Amino acid sequence: MSSPSPFIEVARLGFSYRQESQKPVLAGIDLAAGDDRYLLIAGASGSGKSTLCRTFNGLIPHFYGGRFTGRVLVGGLDTRTLSVGRLFDRVGMVSQNPEAQLFNRTVGREIAFGLESLGLARVEIRQRILEAAAAAGIEDLLERAPHQLSGGEQYLTAVAAILALRPRVLILDEPFANLAPLATARLRRVLADIDEGNRTRIVVCEHRLGLTAPDADRMIVVCDGRIVADGNPAAVLSGDVRSWALDPPLAAAASVRLGLRPAVLDVGKVPLGGDAGRRLDDLLPNPPATGGGDVLLGVDHVSAHYGRRPVLKDVSFELRRGEIVALVGANGAGKTTLVRHLNGLMRPGKGRVAVCGRDTRRASTSSLARLVALVFQNPDSQFFKLTVADEIRVAPRALGIEAEDWMALLARRLGLTGLMERAPFRLSGGEKKRVAVASALATRPEVLVLDEPTAGQDLLFRQALGDLLLDLADEGRAVLMVTHDLAFAERYAARWLVLGGGTIAADGAPEQIMADAALMQRCGLLPTDAFRLKRRLEAADHA
Amino acid sequence: MLDPRSRLALACGAAGAVAASGTPWALIGEYLVLLILIGSWRRGRSYLRWLRLVVPMALFFGALSWWAAGALAQGGAAALKLLGLTTVFFLFFEATTPEDLGNSLVAAGLPFSAAFVFSAALQFVPVIGRKARCVIEAQRCRGIALEPAWAALRHWPAFLAPLLIQAFTLADELAEAMEARGFSRPGRTFYRDYRMQPKDWLAVAAGAGLWLAAIWWL
Repeated sequence: MSSPSPFIEVARLGFSYRQESQKPVLAGIDLAAGDDRYLLIAGASGSGKSTLCRTFNGLIPHFYGGRFTGRVLVGGLDTRTLSVGRLFDRVGMVSQNPEAQLFNRTVGREIAFGLESLGLARVEIRQRILEAAAAAGIEDLLERAPHQLSGGEQYLTAVAAILALRPRVLILDEPFANLAPLATARLRRVLADIDEGNRTRIVVCEHRLGLTAPDADRMIVVCDGRIVADGNPAAVLSGDVRSWALDPPLAAAASVRLGLRPAVLDVGKVPLGGDAGRRLDDLLPNPPATGGGDVLLGVDHVSAHYGRRPVLKDVSFELRRGEIVALVGANGAGKTTLVRHLNGLMRPGKGRVAVCGRDTRRASTSSLARLVALVFQNPDSQFFKLTVADEIRVAPRALGIEAEDWMALLARRLGLTGLMERAPFRLSGGEKKRVAVASALATRPEVLVLDEPTAGQDLLFRQALGDLLLDLADEGRAVLMVTHDLAFAERYAARWLVLGGGTIAADGAPEQIMADAALMQRCGLLPTDAFRLKRRLEAADHA
Repeated sequence: MLDPRSRLALACGAAGAVAASGTPWALIGEYLVLLILIGSWRRGRSYLRWLRLVVPMALFFGALSWWAAGALAQGGAAALKLLGLTTVFFLFFEATTPEDLGNSLVAAGLPFSAAFVFSAALQFVPVIGRKARCVIEAQRCRGIALEPAWAALRHWPAFLAPLLIQAFTLADELAEAMEARGFSRPGRTFYRDYRMQPKDWLAVAAGAGLWLAAIWWL
């Protein structure tokens, strides 16, 4: 007896976004998908994961030009012969940027849009809106405008809009890239609840394997447009996944180090007998103590309001030469508002900000650019030159401090040497981020401020960025990074500033902060895997 | 609440009345009525923000008319007329979402794709406004002197290139997202019911009456 056909069947699939491209994005993919409860697709930036997912719901080949070879069958039907409009209630997809997917006035209307497309009656639409909102935990947001929501709430709204269609397959592209720890936990719970007694199957593309591999039943790894691994996540992560530029969950890395096969995916379950502490020592982050120089940035009793709503309340801290500091906190804690005060984009309603002794209230942002550089989360807001080389030279030229040797050094350090003549807006997300960092550093600022530098970035970028930050600190510059990625912050920043409810709730070493469970809960943070493992090792030592 | 179509008819009638008014006193009177409506709906703050854009346009238009006609009264009337017309539609869009307007027009027979393009275009005006602010801030952070904001005109490539690229990208992403939720699928239904009630027909009649009265008396 033959086994039933898989819901999504991919055979010899090849795809290039340009007809003339010599290197295809997908190069001969064979895959049976859509029947696993939770399929995780992993791969480095530019490996072809998102492209593969776009072939499942017909966006490729119908929405993108390019060269398509092979075939994709959904429910036995060839996607080349079905329009996207006929596939959308079978395979629903939420892309990485929820803002671009939310185009209605209220969350309720957003969920209703797809149901209206299906031609459902009003009563049915109403019922499905309520069901989907309950499944995503956003019942209280139905009358809110989507663009006024936090990143996490926007993503949940986009998920609810697809869930309401009751698709057979729900695809999520980089769902955790921009979410704060509590929002991440909430989305994981939502996905786990979908699994309970629901026929919808989940496909997730994600770099952050620690948040996905423990929940997945199956994992495939895409590298250079090909599937290079396929199996149970514990089995796949028992191999050398770093060679595919994947960052394994700490528990998996510890398992490999301890010779456990298959790997354990929960740090709480890694067996820690014998000399485990010694063998795992170098897996645990140990950020170098930095700083101690003179004060480069002083924030003195700063308060700020949006209308009548207080956003920052009496915030004070100093940033010293050679320091790397992480600014952490939940969505809406006031991190971005605080950062906008550091280079004069916002002037404090009360208090004072001084950069290298210059009061930001008496200097324009453009004149402070030589002292403090800010790298925004979305680099697309700044690119306007035709080549990367010209883009990096913009700020030094504007300030009259161009230095070719420094440009060449920056390009080498950030791996941009081969990209200097490319158009910046045609680069991948990771490459754009590197260009943005290079153009911020081109003026040799004393203080570098980075907003979510690792969102959606792979292992190679994270390592390169981390090394660069350490070099900058060695040179005597100060770095402040705003991040939800506590694992990255823990590895490179010896000091954390925790912002909660508009005030500095804590200022200290990561371990000291994570040890305060009440503080972490109050500020919407969760301890890292490394912290949990370290605690277990300490307990095992005492025992 | 009135149906969006009857609100549109009422707004068109009021705009027609402003357009048909010939004397400055009539225009001043109409503008005062509009201000009273704005005050009673507690929209004063957003109206003041919006006036910052409209007043320079009205002054320019008034000056141009004054120069062309050679009479100050005519220039003043032209400026007031522009202010009155735009204020009518400010009130209309404060009371009506583009989505409601588009969907109600579909109920009246307009093709859905045309109505959606209209309402989506209106909704994306504030989105592009936010993107423009982000571009200006990003360039100021790099040392390009875009202070005050009108200096963006002097450094127009640094302002316009990222804004246009993002606008095109956003349009592509939006089209993809809409298609992925069945935009072009035939047989669409609507969650909200749009039906003209007697009060809506009264509002349509009032709009027509306003326009005719202005033609007759003003």
